[in-house]
Amino acid sequence: MTTNTSMTSFIQKTSAIQKWSRRFFMAAAGSLAISAAAGLPAFAQDAEWQKVVEAGKKEGKLILYTALVGQPSTKQIAAAFTKEYGIEVEILEARASEIRERVRVEQAAGRFAADVMFTSEGQTMLYDKEDKSVDPLPATPNSQKIGDKFKLKVPMASVMTIPYGIMINTGLVKPADEPKSWKDIADPKWQGKILSDDPRAIGAGYLWFFSTYDKIGEDYVKKVASQKLVFTRDQRESQRRTARGEYSIYMPVIMTDFSDLKGLPVKFIIPEEGVPYVLYGNVMLKKAPHPNAAKLYLDFMQGPVVQKIYAGLGYGPVLPGMTDGLPADVKAISEAKLYGTTDTTRQNEMLAKSKDIFK
Amino acid sequence: MTIIHNRPLDDIAETAPTIAGNAFTRAFSGGSLWRLIGMLVLILILGFLTIYPLAMLLYGSLHSTPPGMAGEFNLNGYRSIMTTQNLIVLANTIGISLAKTIPSLTIAVFLAWIVARTDTPFRGTLEVLITLPFFIPPILTAMAWGMLANPQVGVINMVWRWLTGGTDPLVNIYSYGGVIWHMCQYSIPFLFLFMVDAFRAMDPSLEESSRMCGASRWTTFRKITLLLMLPVLTSSFMLSFIKGIETFESALFFGLPAGIKVITTDIYESINHRATPDYQYATSLSFAIMGLMFLLVIWQWWMLRGKSFQTVTGKGFRPSVMELGPWRWVTFAFCVLFFFITVVLPIGQLMLGSFFRFFGFYTYDMLTLEHYRAVFANSEFWRAVRNTMVLGLLGATATMALGAVVAYISVRTRWRGRNLIDSMAWLPWMMPGMVLGVGFLWAFAMLPGPIPIYGTIWALLLAYIALGTPVSVRVMTGAYHQLSYDLEECSRVHGATWAQTMWRIMVALAWPAFAVGWVLTFFGIMRELSASILLYSVGSETLAVVLMKLWANGNAEQVSVIGLMMMLLVIVFRWVQLSFIKARISKL
Repeated sequence: MTTNTSMTSFIQKTSAIQKWSRRFFMAAAGSLAISAAAGLPAFAQDAEWQKVVEAGKKEGKLILYTALVGQPSTKQIAAAFTKEYGIEVEILEARASEIRERVRVEQAAGRFAADVMFTSEGQTMLYDKEDKSVDPLPATPNSQKIGDKFKLKVPMASVMTIPYGIMINTGLVKPADEPKSWKDIADPKWQGKILSDDPRAIGAGYLWFFSTYDKIGEDYVKKVASQKLVFTRDQRESQRRTARGEYSIYMPVIMTDFSDLKGLPVKFIIPEEGVPYVLYGNVMLKKAPHPNAAKLYLDFMQGPVVQKIYAGLGYGPVLPGMTDGLPADVKAISEAKLYGTTDTTRQNEMLAKSKDIFK
Repeated sequence: MTIIHNRPLDDIAETAPTIAGNAFTRAFSGGSLWRLIGMLVLILILGFLTIYPLAMLLYGSLHSTPPGMAGEFNLNGYRSIMTTQNLIVLANTIGISLAKTIPSLTIAVFLAWIVARTDTPFRGTLEVLITLPFFIPPILTAMAWGMLANPQVGVINMVWRWLTGGTDPLVNIYSYGGVIWHMCQYSIPFLFLFMVDAFRAMDPSLEESSRMCGASRWTTFRKITLLLMLPVLTSSFMLSFIKGIETFESALFFGLPAGIKVITTDIYESINHRATPDYQYATSLSFAIMGLMFLLVIWQWWMLRGKSFQTVTGKGFRPSVMELGPWRWVTFAFCVLFFFITVVLPIGQLMLGSFFRFFGFYTYDMLTLEHYRAVFANSEFWRAVRNTMVLGLLGATATMALGAVVAYISVRTRWRGRNLIDSMAWLPWMMPGMVLGVGFLWAFAMLPGPIPIYGTIWALLLAYIALGTPVSVRVMTGAYHQLSYDLEECSRVHGATWAQTMWRIMVALAWPAFAVGWVLTFFGIMRELSASILLYSVGSETLAVVLMKLWANGNAEQVSVIGLMMMLLVIVFRWVQLSFIKARISKL
């Protein structure tokens, strides 16, 4: 209770500062753009950024909401951030729809509690277009350095991609029979042997449906549908079920989980076509109580320290050159060719299609 | 002999002003203003806890956008639920719920009777053991049953194939039967706990008279025991049936692969798995279901009207047990079988699995204590334990106190508004948890700024009290139905003050029910996730939130370790509680 009351009073007290700091930042961003355009020496930008660093340290705290639930890396990154800037990070985790509704209703009630939200590209579009709960992205030093395909139209500072592939039970599938591509899944020999994340609801299965429907085509998806897939909605438990021998194949599997299942009779396969992926990143929430700390965090997440942490776990980094020196199996997953992702604007249409095909 | 009509409630109230009334009424006699104020306060509390969040949800169902967003009022939500498909799903849901409630209630009655009214050996130990599955998070028992009874490599089917040499599986948990079975795993212990003290508190002289008049044991059981239990039985039936309509874990886990749909999986999907959460649809559907369920409450009122079910009277009360002779080994065997199937099989899996690196891979080199170490070294876990203990102790006590007051007024007074508070206390039970969680979020977040509830531990506490109230009121209602009015009057005649009477009679005699209600509420709080995840704040994580995070990250074994520790706590609680009850009964 005390934290909250102090928090609300803090918010009230800082609202004036906040307005000022936002104005300041608009000016800063503006001048940054101008200086970049004019080709001014880098130290001018550095000086501006240095001001953000100082202000962020003064704020001393960051409230992070994340839709990536239960990942130990979240805490690891927060600790690294605290070590770098001396800013404490408080983390609130909940599943995507729950945390989005919390932010929406908090803001509607005038409670601006959180600074940064770690979520997916698709969700960001909803935050931005439907809830209008996010601020435009600030330009930070690292934001210029990330790969071009990760510089987005939506106001999300990309951080990493979660790759999805195929998992097999090595006790049930002989090496010669292993599926090598998404197309192999349609082979009739797998009929009744595939456990699949439910493609009829937002989630991994739907991601697979979306990307293969677009890239391989409706016929392929229909062929897979005739395989008598068994549906599930629990990613991790499904991996275990497959490992225990209930099914030969589980798909699509979160590739980065491979390290948690070492010792089990399973193999993670990167399909030849590539891995469907979900792009995760940070958004700045409206009227963030610690706006400068938030900017530092956004920047930090795109910097080499965090990018290397994620690459080391098998996620796809957005900053080039982060996979050097990784063990071969991790490197292969982290560098896997990105196949496709979902498009929020087409979601209703594609969900309806999926429901129609996978009755 | 059917129901005792000797002192109907109306009779008491009519004579009350001049001679007696009951203790509570008299305490306020001449001060009806105070009574009015007390009643108003109670209505305000219940209103805040139940009507306010539901009103937010009602707004959500009638408005094109959730609270705080521009939109318009319309009936699109209600229009969109009126589909043939939903009607089929509804029929399916009701069918599943009946299919689990009726056998559950039958088994629970039988078990309660065995434990409370017969001389079955080891019934004290059995009483604690057979309720254990109720206290394990559903996701864990679901996982355990998935391992035991999947058609491909389930342990039961492997054993069956080995025994018979056949290839067909004996059981398949991913089916209607599986969904119902998994629900029964929770409803049988719940109903048993809910009823067992009512059985214990029954004066055996009524049964004895029946036997002496020549009725058979079966007729006596039917016409005396069961009929006297009518308030408890109808309450049990309703609690269980309504819960059956709202449960979604079983259907999601075991029903989805088999294409089984229930109303709550539809609601779950509309919030969690659509392009954007459709709160208007989810809330409209929930209110439609709620309307249907309220018919049940009215049915119960109608059933119990004007009847009296007092079994605890001022006369000598000798809670003796029925001597079954050699049959007691049959009842014993039944309990042991029940214990083996519902407790040993699933919990044995969890216990075994917690000592291996992975569930289901029981080889020597996989043996480890790492899951225990990981849990004990997890500071977030300990913080959650602290929070949950505080919330559980405060929440369960407050909930039971509130429930006792509401039940007292609705059963033992004829005050204006007693039906109102009784039905208000039902409301949270009729709203699916995940929708009600959203209701609390909206309600508490939208409170004016200076009221510091949202984002604090108080938000969780208030939500838990609201969620627990239906059970606490039902438990206490059942207990108060059984206490005779003579007891209160007798106490007053002998010069006891109102407070003494309340303490000695209404509290002391209803204590076992209070204790059971407390345990149910406490563990309800421990398990609650839907509201917790929407209301917790940084630092106020509860155990359920931590479990969810671990589960989401694939640490099923650690979740089991915590589940087993929760179960240990139950054993301690129940053991203490039952020792107290026994000590009390022997004093009577």
